[in-house]
Amino acid sequence: MIKFGPGNLRVPKWTRPVYMVSAGMTDFRKKYPEKKLEELVLEAVKMCVEDPKLKKSAQEVRDMINFACYGEFADHFQDQLLCEAKVHDYLGLDPLFNVGIKTGGATGGSAILMGSSIVASGQANCCLVAGWERMDEVDTWTGNFYISTAACKDFETRLARIYASYYAPMARRFQQVYNLDEKVRAAVAVKNRGYACSSPFAQQPGKHTIEEVLEGPVVCDPLRMLECCAMSVGSAAVILCDEETAFKLSDNPVKVYIAGGSHTLRVSDRRDMEIPLLPNEDEHTYEKLYKDIKSSDGRWPGFESFLAARFAAYLTYQMAGIENPIEELDLVELHDAFTISDIQTYGDIGLTRYGEEPSYITSGDAYYGGKCPANLSGGLIGTMHAVGATGIFSAIEVMWQLQNRYDEFHGADEMWKKFGKTKPTDWKSLQVENAKKGLWVSHAGVGSHVTVGVLEKGW
Amino acid sequence: MSEEQVVKYTGEPAKVKEVNGAWVIDFPRAFTHHHTYGKLTPYFKGLTEGKLMATKCTNPKCNISKGNGEMWLPPRADCPDCYAAMEWIELKQPIVGTIYSYTEVKRGGTGVEIEVPYYQIDIKFENCCTIPKGYLCDSRDEPKIGAKVTPVFRTENPSHTSLDISWKSL
Repeated sequence: MIKFGPGNLRVPKWTRPVYMVSAGMTDFRKKYPEKKLEELVLEAVKMCVEDPKLKKSAQEVRDMINFACYGEFADHFQDQLLCEAKVHDYLGLDPLFNVGIKTGGATGGSAILMGSSIVASGQANCCLVAGWERMDEVDTWTGNFYISTAACKDFETRLARIYASYYAPMARRFQQVYNLDEKVRAAVAVKNRGYACSSPFAQQPGKHTIEEVLEGPVVCDPLRMLECCAMSVGSAAVILCDEETAFKLSDNPVKVYIAGGSHTLRVSDRRDMEIPLLPNEDEHTYEKLYKDIKSSDGRWPGFESFLAARFAAYLTYQMAGIENPIEELDLVELHDAFTISDIQTYGDIGLTRYGEEPSYITSGDAYYGGKCPANLSGGLIGTMHAVGATGIFSAIEVMWQLQNRYDEFHGADEMWKKFGKTKPTDWKSLQVENAKKGLWVSHAGVGSHVTVGVLEKGW
Repeated sequence: MSEEQVVKYTGEPAKVKEVNGAWVIDFPRAFTHHHTYGKLTPYFKGLTEGKLMATKCTNPKCNISKGNGEMWLPPRADCPDCYAAMEWIELKQPIVGTIYSYTEVKRGGTGVEIEVPYYQIDIKFENCCTIPKGYLCDSRDEPKIGAKVTPVFRTENPSHTSLDISWKSL
């Protein structure tokens, strides 16, 4: 769709507010032969229902659940159709109804969107949302091929059979049109891998330098190996409730707003269109940008931006009453599958204007201690991308920040021991002081589906 | 095998490896899917005959095309704006496109059928609303954004896939 009808732009209007009350997750590993998939999901759900801050016992919490939404990206990886049924049974939740949700890389975000809608509508008042992926049954390059079958198999998959080759031309184009220095891309990799050093859940923590990233092996030029996300095994889970149930369970639940957008599976099919405007933009904001795009024989969103992310932000900001994202949000968790897609998203969700995306990094706003830090969790590059769990993991990290519980889950010795790790002696807390509102993005390959969610302190 | 085992096991015993106390077995997979090109068959057939076929919407009632739409490449049989059947057109030779973006693929996923490294390109055409992907037929031919390219068709020993068209610099 390149022209919108009035109904197309309707802002979601839930019949009652939705809250996230507790969360759990496994650590994330490249290979996890010690545990079966359903055992990993149970571990995440167990942590969720056994949260010591909940006002009910684990059994009482389980007795309150009345619906389940499950996120899994690809049956290929699990090599098991209807994994949802197997997991649901393993969790002992039959005969409650459950649904599986699949929207590529945005699966986790979509599972929360659907769970929220289920609660908002009254279909349920206590909904479990769990996601997972087991990507270690095949080797990395077969894994890349499996993922590439989420591109168009008639016209794209046979080219390279790896998603890096679909993001790399975006990076090339962005670099040329918006004058992006490669060092800014590398800085995103260094930042997120660095923050992962504070997380016991993280798969790829590391103290790297910009030079190291840029001198590293190239996957698809210009993207280097260290700019790419992890391929992971693991699970994440949250509980969503209506207001009454939320406060029965918790003294500090967070309020949820979430919406989504979509755009062509093939980047090639993105036709020229006008930019849908966010509340802090007007018809004059992009006069110069349109001229620059024209002079470079470009188009919007072209290869530089994601309509799905812009559309999701357009809806969610109106639901949450956000008028100036960079001023009103205290932190964000973005879907940094690749450094470039992270950077592209800054403009889509209005952290910067379009065309000024690199300034979010170069200004220091995106760093811990900055105006609106991004991916303190370590993100997908540093911590995990067990695809179906990813959008749930990002939401959890935002929730823990708002509940002032970053240190409890990342800094406690027991958390490190639980995953067979030793807490680093130079461990650093990344708790954002007095955080009230945070955002997370869940994004599917080349922007085919994107959810934007906002969490705010509900107490 | 015990004498009670009357029903035969006909499989290939799974290879087993013990990792940190857990048994991990191999489960090999090899199947053939019978995939149809459906109404896009003229495109793939065209490639094997040295023709590049596109579609366009000619429905005067279409909100976007107004009866004279831009070309679609990859083609679509049906217009996404009005759901009318689109019309096939053959691009006139010599076909010239412009490189919109590119990447050098250093490593592909399992089963990749193009020898790496190679250049993958995105190509823009006059009067075409899409920017299809392709690859350069010569890996020594370094691409540039804005450079002109023309197609090379695999008419001999075609692969019957989208890889039957590649591109060379002009």
